[in-house]
Amino acid sequence: MKQAAAPPNAKWTGPAQAGVKSPDPILLADPARRFAATAQRLENLAAGHPMEAWLRFMASLAQAQHAVATTLAPAAAPDPTAVAQAVEARLPPLAADGHRREASWREGLALLLDRIDGSALPPAALAVMAQLRRSDAAAQEKLADQFLRGGLAAADAGAAVYVAAALQVYFTASAARLKAEDLRLLEERGLCPCCGSPPVSGLITASGQAPGTRYLYCSLCSTAWNHVRAVCITCGGTRRLSLQGIEGDAGLVRAETCGECHTYAKVLYQVRDMQADPYADDLASLGLDMLVAEEGFARHAPNPLLLVGETEAATG
Amino acid sequence: MALTRREFIKVTGLGLAASSLGMLGFGAAGVAQAAAVRPFKLTHATETRNTCTYCSVACGILIYSMGDRAKNARSNIIHIEGDPDHPVNRGTLCPKGTALLDVVHAPTRLKAPRYRPPGGTEFKEVSWDFALDRIAKLMKEDRDKHFIARNAAGTTVNRWTSTGMLAASASSNETAYLTWKVARSLGMVVFDNQARV
Repeated sequence: MKQAAAPPNAKWTGPAQAGVKSPDPILLADPARRFAATAQRLENLAAGHPMEAWLRFMASLAQAQHAVATTLAPAAAPDPTAVAQAVEARLPPLAADGHRREASWREGLALLLDRIDGSALPPAALAVMAQLRRSDAAAQEKLADQFLRGGLAAADAGAAVYVAAALQVYFTASAARLKAEDLRLLEERGLCPCCGSPPVSGLITASGQAPGTRYLYCSLCSTAWNHVRAVCITCGGTRRLSLQGIEGDAGLVRAETCGECHTYAKVLYQVRDMQADPYADDLASLGLDMLVAEEGFARHAPNPLLLVGETEAATG
Repeated sequence: MALTRREFIKVTGLGLAASSLGMLGFGAAGVAQAAAVRPFKLTHATETRNTCTYCSVACGILIYSMGDRAKNARSNIIHIEGDPDHPVNRGTLCPKGTALLDVVHAPTRLKAPRYRPPGGTEFKEVSWDFALDRIAKLMKEDRDKHFIARNAAGTTVNRWTSTGMLAASASSNETAYLTWKVARSLGMVVFDNQARV
Protein backbone atom coordinates (compact mmCIF):
# COMPACT_ATOMS: atom_id res chain seq x y z
CA MET A 1 0.00 0.00 0.00
CA LYS A 2 1.31 3.41 -0.93
CA GLN A 3 1.74 5.83 1.91
CA ALA A 4 -1.24 8.14 2.41
CA ALA A 5 -3.29 6.11 -0.05
CA ALA A 6 -6.83 5.16 0.89
CA PRO A 7 -6.83 2.22 3.35
CA PRO A 8 -8.08 -1.11 2.03
CA ASN A 9 -11.80 -1.30 2.48
CA ALA A 10 -12.45 -4.97 1.89
CA LYS A 11 -14.63 -6.99 4.23
CA TRP A 12 -12.93 -9.07 6.91
CA THR A 13 -12.88 -12.66 5.73
CA GLY A 14 -11.19 -14.34 8.71
CA PRO A 15 -12.91 -15.89 11.72
CA ALA A 16 -15.51 -13.64 13.35
CA GLN A 17 -13.72 -13.44 16.70
CA ALA A 18 -10.38 -12.55 15.09
CA GLY A 19 -9.19 -9.29 13.61
CA VAL A 20 -8.57 -6.01 15.39
CA LYS A 21 -11.74 -3.97 15.79
CA SER A 22 -12.11 -0.42 16.97
CA PRO A 23 -14.58 0.21 19.81
CA ASP A 24 -17.94 1.86 19.16
CA PRO A 25 -17.58 5.52 20.13
CA ILE A 26 -21.06 5.83 21.64
CA LEU A 27 -23.45 3.27 23.16
CA LEU A 28 -27.00 4.40 23.91
CA ALA A 29 -28.72 2.86 26.92
CA ASP A 30 -31.73 0.57 26.72
CA PRO A 31 -34.28 2.15 29.12
CA ALA A 32 -35.93 -1.25 29.64
CA ARG A 33 -32.73 -2.72 31.10
CA ARG A 34 -30.66 0.15 32.48
CA PHE A 35 -32.56 0.73 35.77
CA ALA A 36 -33.45 -2.91 36.38
CA ALA A 37 -29.76 -3.83 36.12
CA THR A 38 -28.79 -1.10 38.57
CA ALA A 39 -31.52 -2.16 41.02
CA GLN A 40 -30.45 -5.80 40.84
CA ARG A 41 -26.79 -4.93 41.36
CA LEU A 42 -27.59 -2.62 44.30
CA GLU A 43 -29.56 -5.39 45.98
CA ASN A 44 -26.60 -7.76 45.53
CA LEU A 45 -24.14 -5.22 46.88
CA ALA A 46 -26.30 -4.20 49.85
CA ALA A 47 -26.02 -7.47 51.81
CA GLY A 48 -23.51 -6.97 54.59
CA HIS A 49 -22.46 -3.55 53.32
CA PRO A 50 -21.85 -0.78 55.92
CA MET A 51 -24.39 1.35 54.04
CA GLU A 52 -26.91 -1.46 53.62
CA ALA A 53 -29.99 0.62 54.49
CA TRP A 54 -29.09 3.35 52.05
CA LEU A 55 -28.15 0.94 49.24
CA ARG A 56 -31.49 -0.86 49.69
CA PHE A 57 -33.23 2.53 49.41
CA MET A 58 -31.22 3.25 46.25
CA ALA A 59 -32.24 -0.17 44.92
CA SER A 60 -35.93 0.53 45.52
CA LEU A 61 -35.46 3.91 43.85
CA ALA A 62 -33.86 2.22 40.81
CA GLN A 63 -36.70 -0.34 40.80
CA ALA A 64 -39.19 2.56 40.76
CA GLN A 65 -37.19 4.19 37.94
CA HIS A 66 -37.48 0.91 36.02
CA ALA A 67 -41.25 0.92 36.52
CA VAL A 68 -41.47 4.49 35.21
CA ALA A 69 -39.15 3.79 32.27
CA THR A 70 -41.23 0.79 31.18
CA THR A 71 -44.75 2.12 31.78
CA LEU A 72 -44.63 5.79 30.88
CA ALA A 73 -44.89 6.66 27.18
CA PRO A 74 -41.53 8.01 26.06
CA ALA A 75 -41.08 11.64 25.12
CA ALA A 76 -41.50 12.60 21.47
CA ALA A 77 -38.52 11.75 19.28
CA PRO A 78 -36.20 14.73 18.96
CA ASP A 79 -36.32 16.68 15.70
CA PRO A 80 -33.68 15.11 13.41
CA THR A 81 -32.70 18.48 11.89
CA ALA A 82 -32.08 20.00 15.31
CA VAL A 83 -30.03 16.95 16.29
CA ALA A 84 -27.98 17.18 13.07
CA GLN A 85 -27.41 20.90 13.62
CA ALA A 86 -26.22 20.41 17.19
CA VAL A 87 -23.93 17.52 16.25
CA GLU A 88 -22.51 19.57 13.37
CA ALA A 89 -21.68 22.36 15.85
CA ARG A 90 -20.09 19.77 18.20
CA LEU A 91 -22.78 20.45 20.82
CA PRO A 92 -24.76 17.83 22.74
CA PRO A 93 -28.18 17.48 21.02
CA LEU A 94 -30.06 16.95 24.31
CA ALA A 95 -28.06 19.54 26.27
CA ALA A 96 -29.17 19.11 29.89
CA ASP A 97 -29.15 22.83 30.62
CA GLY A 98 -30.72 24.02 27.36
CA HIS A 99 -33.14 21.24 26.46
CA ARG A 100 -36.81 22.16 26.78
CA ARG A 101 -38.34 19.45 28.95
CA GLU A 102 -41.73 18.00 28.19
CA ALA A 103 -44.22 18.07 31.07
CA SER A 104 -44.27 14.27 30.98
CA TRP A 105 -41.19 14.11 33.23
CA ARG A 106 -43.42 15.33 36.10
CA GLU A 107 -45.83 12.44 35.49
CA GLY A 108 -42.74 10.29 35.75
CA LEU A 109 -41.86 11.94 39.06
CA ALA A 110 -45.36 11.32 40.44
CA LEU A 111 -45.28 7.69 39.30
CA LEU A 112 -41.79 7.29 40.75
CA LEU A 113 -42.89 8.56 44.16
CA ASP A 114 -45.85 6.14 44.10
CA ARG A 115 -43.68 3.19 43.17
CA ILE A 116 -41.02 3.59 45.86
CA ASP A 117 -41.49 1.02 48.60
CA GLY A 118 -41.75 3.27 51.66
CA SER A 119 -42.16 0.57 54.31
CA ALA A 120 -38.52 0.57 55.48
CA LEU A 121 -37.66 4.20 54.83
CA PRO A 122 -36.60 6.66 57.52
CA PRO A 123 -39.15 9.39 58.37
CA ALA A 124 -37.01 12.08 56.73
CA ALA A 125 -37.12 10.31 53.36
CA LEU A 126 -40.90 9.86 53.61
CA ALA A 127 -41.38 13.50 54.62
CA VAL A 128 -39.43 14.71 51.59
CA MET A 129 -41.52 12.44 49.35
CA ALA A 130 -44.77 13.75 50.83
CA GLN A 131 -43.61 17.32 50.41
CA LEU A 132 -42.66 16.70 46.76
CA ARG A 133 -46.08 15.13 46.10
CA ARG A 134 -47.81 18.21 47.48
CA SER A 135 -45.64 20.68 45.54
CA ASP A 136 -47.08 22.25 42.38
CA ALA A 137 -45.71 22.06 38.84
CA ALA A 138 -43.87 25.36 39.10
CA ALA A 139 -41.99 24.25 42.21
CA GLN A 140 -41.06 20.93 40.61
CA GLU A 141 -39.85 22.63 37.43
CA LYS A 142 -37.82 25.04 39.53
CA LEU A 143 -36.15 22.15 41.37
CA ALA A 144 -35.40 20.44 38.07
CA ASP A 145 -33.88 23.63 36.61
CA GLN A 146 -31.76 24.12 39.69
CA PHE A 147 -30.63 20.51 39.61
CA LEU A 148 -29.71 20.63 35.93
CA ARG A 149 -28.19 24.12 35.78
CA GLY A 150 -26.83 24.61 39.29
CA GLY A 151 -27.93 26.73 42.21
CA LEU A 152 -29.70 24.04 44.19
CA ALA A 153 -30.04 25.07 47.83
CA ALA A 154 -28.47 22.72 50.37
CA ALA A 155 -31.88 22.34 52.03
CA ASP A 156 -33.21 20.75 48.81
CA ALA A 157 -30.53 18.04 48.71
CA GLY A 158 -33.10 15.44 49.76
CA ALA A 159 -35.79 16.39 47.24
CA ALA A 160 -33.11 16.56 44.55
CA VAL A 161 -32.62 12.78 44.78
CA TYR A 162 -36.19 12.08 43.58
CA VAL A 163 -36.09 14.87 40.99
CA ALA A 164 -32.73 13.59 39.71
CA ALA A 165 -34.09 10.04 39.54
CA ALA A 166 -37.13 11.19 37.52
CA LEU A 167 -34.94 13.26 35.19
CA GLN A 168 -32.57 10.30 34.69
CA VAL A 169 -35.52 8.27 33.44
CA TYR A 170 -36.75 11.12 31.22
CA PHE A 171 -33.32 11.81 29.68
CA THR A 172 -32.49 8.11 29.31
CA ALA A 173 -35.75 7.53 27.42
CA SER A 174 -35.15 10.62 25.26
CA ALA A 175 -31.55 9.64 24.48
CA ALA A 176 -32.70 6.15 23.53
CA ARG A 177 -34.77 7.72 20.74
CA LEU A 178 -31.56 8.98 19.08
CA LYS A 179 -29.32 6.88 16.87
CA ALA A 180 -25.74 6.34 18.01
CA GLU A 181 -24.43 6.79 14.45
CA ASP A 182 -25.97 10.30 14.29
CA LEU A 183 -24.00 11.41 17.34
CA ARG A 184 -20.41 12.48 17.62
CA LEU A 185 -18.08 12.68 20.61
CA LEU A 186 -17.64 16.17 22.02
CA GLU A 187 -14.30 17.89 21.96
CA GLU A 188 -14.50 17.78 25.78
CA ARG A 189 -14.17 14.02 25.91
CA GLY A 190 -15.05 13.97 29.59
CA LEU A 191 -18.64 15.07 28.91
CA CYS A 192 -21.59 13.11 27.54
CA PRO A 193 -21.97 13.47 23.74
CA CYS A 194 -25.73 13.25 24.15
CA CYS A 195 -26.57 15.66 27.01
CA GLY A 196 -23.25 17.23 28.01
CA SER A 197 -23.36 15.93 31.59
CA PRO A 198 -20.38 14.53 33.48
CA PRO A 199 -20.14 10.74 33.85
CA VAL A 200 -20.67 8.81 37.11
CA SER A 201 -17.82 6.38 36.53
CA GLY A 202 -15.91 4.56 33.84
CA LEU A 203 -16.15 0.86 33.04
CA ILE A 204 -13.25 -1.05 31.49
CA THR A 205 -14.98 -3.67 29.39
CA ALA A 206 -13.97 -7.32 29.46
CA SER A 207 -16.20 -8.61 26.66
CA GLY A 208 -17.66 -7.45 23.38
CA GLN A 209 -15.82 -6.49 20.22
CA ALA A 210 -13.20 -4.29 21.94
CA PRO A 211 -12.46 -5.71 25.39
CA GLY A 212 -10.30 -3.53 27.62
CA THR A 213 -11.64 -0.18 26.42
CA ARG A 214 -13.00 2.39 28.82
CA TYR A 215 -16.56 3.63 28.57
CA LEU A 216 -17.75 6.56 30.64
CA TYR A 217 -21.39 6.36 31.75
CA CYS A 218 -23.47 9.54 31.71
CA SER A 219 -24.89 10.58 35.06
CA LEU A 220 -28.09 11.85 33.43
CA CYS A 221 -29.00 10.11 30.15
CA SER A 222 -27.09 6.81 30.76
CA THR A 223 -25.26 7.08 27.43
CA ALA A 224 -21.85 5.39 27.40
CA TRP A 225 -18.99 6.80 25.41
CA ASN A 226 -15.47 5.67 24.75
CA HIS A 227 -12.65 7.50 26.51
CA VAL A 228 -8.97 6.64 26.11
CA ARG A 229 -7.53 4.90 29.16
CA ALA A 230 -4.67 6.26 31.27
CA VAL A 231 -5.74 9.83 30.49
CA CYS A 232 -7.32 12.14 33.10
CA ILE A 233 -10.94 12.69 32.07
CA THR A 234 -10.94 16.17 33.60
CA CYS A 235 -7.71 17.77 32.34
CA GLY A 236 -6.41 15.28 29.78
CA GLY A 237 -3.14 14.94 31.72
CA THR A 238 -1.17 11.70 31.57
CA ARG A 239 2.01 12.41 33.50
CA ARG A 240 0.92 12.10 37.11
CA LEU A 241 -1.92 9.60 37.01
CA SER A 242 -2.22 6.95 39.64
CA LEU A 243 -4.72 4.15 40.16
CA GLN A 244 -5.66 4.02 43.81
CA GLY A 245 -7.62 1.25 45.44
CA ILE A 246 -8.37 0.01 48.91
CA GLU A 247 -5.70 -2.41 50.12
CA GLY A 248 -6.87 -6.00 49.98
CA ASP A 249 -10.08 -5.39 48.02
CA ALA A 250 -11.18 -7.37 44.97
CA GLY A 251 -9.65 -4.89 42.56
CA LEU A 252 -13.02 -4.04 41.02
CA VAL A 253 -12.98 -0.29 41.68
CA ARG A 254 -10.01 2.04 41.33
CA ALA A 255 -9.83 5.81 41.58
CA GLU A 256 -7.78 7.29 38.74
CA THR A 257 -6.21 10.29 40.45
CA CYS A 258 -4.49 13.07 38.54
CA GLY A 259 -1.63 14.86 40.29
CA GLU A 260 -1.85 17.72 37.77
CA CYS A 261 -5.46 18.83 38.38
CA HIS A 262 -5.92 17.03 41.73
CA THR A 263 -9.14 15.33 40.73
CA TYR A 264 -10.10 11.71 40.31
CA ALA A 265 -12.63 9.59 38.50
CA LYS A 266 -13.59 6.01 39.29
CA VAL A 267 -12.72 3.13 37.02
CA LEU A 268 -14.49 -0.24 37.27
CA TYR A 269 -12.83 -3.38 35.93
CA GLN A 270 -15.48 -5.63 34.44
CA VAL A 271 -12.91 -8.43 34.24
CA ARG A 272 -13.06 -8.63 38.07
CA ASP A 273 -16.83 -8.91 38.15
CA MET A 274 -19.02 -9.24 35.08
CA GLN A 275 -22.03 -7.98 37.07
CA ALA A 276 -20.40 -4.59 37.74
CA ASP A 277 -22.77 -1.69 37.11
CA PRO A 278 -21.32 1.81 36.68
CA TYR A 279 -24.16 3.37 38.69
CA ALA A 280 -24.57 0.84 41.52
CA ASP A 281 -20.88 0.16 42.10
CA ASP A 282 -20.15 3.88 42.17
CA LEU A 283 -22.60 4.34 45.06
CA ALA A 284 -21.39 1.23 46.89
CA SER A 285 -17.72 2.29 46.70
CA LEU A 286 -18.22 5.48 48.69
CA GLY A 287 -15.49 4.31 51.09
CA LEU A 288 -12.92 4.73 48.32
CA ASP A 289 -14.16 8.28 47.73
CA MET A 290 -13.58 9.05 51.41
CA LEU A 291 -10.01 7.68 51.44
CA VAL A 292 -9.06 9.42 48.20
CA ALA A 293 -10.58 12.69 49.44
CA GLU A 294 -8.34 12.45 52.51
CA GLU A 295 -5.35 12.36 50.15
CA GLY A 296 -6.52 15.74 48.82
CA PHE A 297 -8.21 14.72 45.58
CA ALA A 298 -11.60 16.07 44.49
CA ARG A 299 -14.09 13.91 42.63
CA HIS A 300 -14.67 15.07 39.02
CA ALA A 301 -18.43 15.40 39.66
CA PRO A 302 -20.89 13.87 42.12
CA ASN A 303 -23.25 11.01 41.49
CA PRO A 304 -26.60 12.84 41.00
CA LEU A 305 -28.19 10.56 43.60
CA LEU A 306 -25.61 11.63 46.15
CA LEU A 307 -25.16 15.38 45.95
CA VAL A 308 -22.63 16.61 48.46
CA GLY A 309 -22.41 20.21 49.60
CA GLU A 310 -19.15 22.11 49.54
CA THR A 311 -17.40 21.08 52.70
CA GLU A 312 -14.34 23.27 52.22
CA ALA A 313 -15.82 25.89 54.49
CA ALA A 314 -16.81 23.32 57.11
CA THR A 315 -13.53 21.41 57.17
CA GLY A 316 -11.27 24.39 56.57
CA MET B 1 -24.10 26.91 50.07
CA ALA B 2 -25.35 25.70 46.69
CA LEU B 3 -25.23 22.09 45.47
CA THR B 4 -24.02 21.21 42.05
CA ARG B 5 -23.99 18.07 39.92
CA ARG B 6 -21.26 19.32 37.61
CA GLU B 7 -18.42 20.57 39.77
CA PHE B 8 -15.62 19.00 41.79
CA ILE B 9 -16.59 17.68 45.20
CA LYS B 10 -14.79 16.18 48.14
CA VAL B 11 -16.57 13.28 49.80
CA THR B 12 -15.84 13.29 53.51
CA GLY B 13 -17.61 11.74 56.44
CA LEU B 14 -18.44 15.21 57.66
CA GLY B 15 -19.73 16.30 54.27
CA LEU B 16 -22.06 13.33 54.06
CA ALA B 17 -24.15 14.65 56.94
CA ALA B 18 -25.10 17.63 54.76
CA SER B 19 -25.48 15.50 51.61
CA SER B 20 -28.65 14.07 50.12
CA LEU B 21 -27.81 10.88 52.04
CA GLY B 22 -27.88 12.75 55.35
CA MET B 23 -30.94 14.82 54.43
CA LEU B 24 -33.01 11.68 53.77
CA GLY B 25 -32.21 10.17 57.16
CA PHE B 26 -29.42 7.76 56.18
CA GLY B 27 -26.75 9.60 58.14
CA ALA B 28 -26.00 6.46 60.15
CA ALA B 29 -25.05 4.61 56.95
CA GLY B 30 -22.55 7.34 56.11
CA VAL B 31 -21.04 7.18 59.60
CA ALA B 32 -20.80 3.38 59.38
CA GLN B 33 -19.08 3.61 56.02
CA ALA B 34 -16.56 6.18 57.27
CA ALA B 35 -15.77 3.95 60.25
CA ALA B 36 -15.49 0.84 58.05
CA VAL B 37 -12.83 2.28 55.74
CA ARG B 38 -10.80 4.10 58.39
CA PRO B 39 -8.43 1.13 59.12
CA PHE B 40 -7.63 0.66 55.42
CA LYS B 41 -4.83 2.12 53.36
CA LEU B 42 -4.79 2.97 49.69
CA THR B 43 -2.71 1.06 47.14
CA HIS B 44 -1.12 2.99 44.29
CA ALA B 45 -0.48 1.68 40.82
CA THR B 46 0.64 3.53 37.72
CA GLU B 47 -0.46 2.77 34.18
CA THR B 48 2.08 3.85 31.56
CA ARG B 49 1.81 3.74 27.76
CA ASN B 50 4.74 2.40 25.79
CA THR B 51 5.61 0.59 22.57
CA CYS B 52 6.53 -3.09 22.40
CA THR B 53 10.25 -3.51 21.78
CA TYR B 54 10.08 -6.52 19.51
CA CYS B 55 9.14 -5.80 15.91
CA SER B 56 8.10 -3.33 13.28
CA VAL B 57 4.39 -3.67 14.05
CA ALA B 58 5.05 -1.44 17.10
CA CYS B 59 2.08 -2.55 19.22
CA GLY B 60 0.97 -0.24 22.00
CA ILE B 61 1.34 -1.66 25.50
CA LEU B 62 0.20 -0.59 28.97
CA ILE B 63 2.74 -1.12 31.73
CA TYR B 64 1.51 -1.34 35.33
CA SER B 65 3.85 -0.56 38.15
CA MET B 66 3.27 -0.51 41.89
CA GLY B 67 4.23 2.50 43.96
CA ASP B 68 3.28 6.15 43.63
CA ARG B 69 6.69 7.38 42.43
CA ALA B 70 7.35 8.78 45.88
CA LYS B 71 11.00 9.55 46.61
CA ASN B 72 11.73 6.62 48.88
CA ALA B 73 9.42 4.06 47.33
CA ARG B 74 10.77 1.51 44.84
CA SER B 75 8.58 1.05 41.77
CA ASN B 76 8.11 -2.43 40.45
CA ILE B 77 6.56 -3.44 37.14
CA ILE B 78 3.79 -5.90 37.92
CA HIS B 79 1.86 -6.35 34.70
CA ILE B 80 2.05 -5.61 30.96
CA GLU B 81 -0.89 -5.85 28.57
CA GLY B 82 -1.85 -4.69 25.10
CA ASP B 83 -3.13 -1.12 24.91
CA PRO B 84 -6.81 -1.35 23.89
CA ASP B 85 -6.74 2.26 22.66
CA HIS B 86 -3.77 1.76 20.35
CA PRO B 87 -4.94 1.77 16.72
CA VAL B 88 -2.30 -0.77 15.67
CA ASN B 89 -3.17 -3.65 17.98
CA ARG B 90 -6.34 -2.62 19.93
CA GLY B 91 -5.28 -4.48 23.03
CA THR B 92 -3.99 -7.61 21.33
CA LEU B 93 -0.43 -8.90 21.65
CA CYS B 94 1.49 -11.77 20.04
CA PRO B 95 3.01 -14.47 22.30
CA LYS B 96 6.31 -12.60 22.43
CA GLY B 97 4.63 -9.37 23.46
CA THR B 98 2.51 -11.19 26.02
CA ALA B 99 5.70 -12.41 27.70
CA LEU B 100 7.25 -8.93 27.96
CA LEU B 101 6.99 -8.97 31.74
CA ASP B 102 9.45 -11.88 31.83
CA VAL B 103 11.86 -9.88 29.69
CA VAL B 104 11.67 -7.01 32.17
CA HIS B 105 12.43 -9.25 35.14
CA ALA B 106 14.77 -11.73 33.40
CA PRO B 107 17.89 -12.40 35.49
CA THR B 108 19.90 -12.62 32.26
CA ARG B 109 18.75 -9.19 31.09
CA LEU B 110 21.62 -6.95 29.95
CA LYS B 111 21.75 -3.90 32.23
CA ALA B 112 25.30 -2.60 31.63
CA PRO B 113 27.88 -2.85 28.80
CA ARG B 114 30.05 -5.96 28.94
CA TYR B 115 33.41 -6.60 27.29
CA ARG B 116 35.35 -9.70 26.25
CA PRO B 117 38.86 -8.77 25.07
CA PRO B 118 40.30 -10.53 22.00
CA GLY B 119 41.48 -13.95 23.14
CA GLY B 120 39.60 -13.63 26.43
CA THR B 121 37.15 -16.28 27.61
CA GLU B 122 34.72 -14.29 29.73
CA PHE B 123 32.64 -11.14 29.50
CA LYS B 124 33.21 -8.64 32.25
CA GLU B 125 31.15 -5.58 33.08
CA VAL B 126 32.68 -2.27 31.94
CA SER B 127 31.74 1.39 32.19
CA TRP B 128 29.81 3.19 29.46
CA ASP B 129 32.83 5.47 28.96
CA PHE B 130 35.05 2.49 28.24
CA ALA B 131 32.49 0.93 25.89
CA LEU B 132 31.81 4.09 23.90
CA ASP B 133 35.51 4.95 23.62
CA ARG B 134 36.26 1.45 22.42
CA ILE B 135 33.45 1.52 19.83
CA ALA B 136 34.52 4.96 18.57
CA LYS B 137 38.14 3.87 18.29
CA LEU B 138 37.32 0.71 16.32
CA MET B 139 34.90 2.60 14.07
CA LYS B 140 37.51 5.23 13.28
CA GLU B 141 40.21 2.62 12.56
CA ASP B 142 37.93 0.75 10.20
CA ARG B 143 36.66 3.89 8.49
CA ASP B 144 40.18 5.25 7.95
CA LYS B 145 41.18 1.94 6.35
CA HIS B 146 38.17 1.26 4.14
CA PHE B 147 36.60 4.64 3.34
CA ILE B 148 35.90 5.07 -0.39
CA ALA B 149 36.05 8.73 -1.39
CA ARG B 150 35.84 8.24 -5.18
CA ASN B 151 34.67 5.43 -7.40
CA ALA B 152 36.48 4.05 -10.45
CA ALA B 153 35.10 6.83 -12.64
CA GLY B 154 36.49 9.47 -10.28
CA THR B 155 33.08 10.64 -9.02
CA THR B 156 32.94 11.62 -5.33
CA VAL B 157 30.90 8.96 -3.46
CA ASN B 158 32.16 9.08 0.19
CA ARG B 159 31.14 5.51 1.06
CA TRP B 160 31.98 3.46 4.09
CA THR B 161 30.81 -0.04 3.28
CA SER B 162 32.76 -2.19 5.74
CA THR B 163 30.71 -1.32 8.85
CA GLY B 164 26.94 -1.39 9.19
CA MET B 165 24.34 -0.28 11.67
CA LEU B 166 21.09 -1.85 12.84
CA ALA B 167 18.76 0.64 14.53
CA ALA B 168 15.94 0.01 17.00
CA SER B 169 12.33 -0.73 16.02
CA ALA B 170 10.47 1.34 18.55
CA SER B 171 12.18 4.65 17.81
CA SER B 172 10.31 7.90 17.75
CA ASN B 173 10.51 10.11 14.66
CA GLU B 174 13.15 12.21 16.40
CA THR B 175 15.28 9.20 17.33
CA ALA B 176 15.04 7.89 13.77
CA TYR B 177 16.05 11.30 12.38
CA LEU B 178 19.12 11.49 14.63
CA THR B 179 20.09 7.88 13.90
CA TRP B 180 19.91 8.60 10.17
CA LYS B 181 21.99 11.77 10.50
CA VAL B 182 24.72 10.04 12.55
CA ALA B 183 24.98 6.97 10.31
CA ARG B 184 24.80 8.78 6.98
CA SER B 185 27.17 11.59 7.97
CA LEU B 186 29.84 8.94 8.49
CA GLY B 187 29.20 7.69 4.97
CA MET B 188 27.70 4.46 6.27
CA VAL B 189 25.58 2.75 3.62
CA VAL B 190 24.93 -0.62 5.30
CA PHE B 191 22.15 0.72 7.45
CA ASP B 192 18.90 -0.94 8.33
CA ASN B 193 16.27 -1.01 10.99
CA GLN B 194 15.25 -3.73 13.38
CA ALA B 195 11.75 -2.89 12.16
CA ARG B 196 12.45 -4.78 8.92
CA VAL B 197 14.05 -7.84 10.44
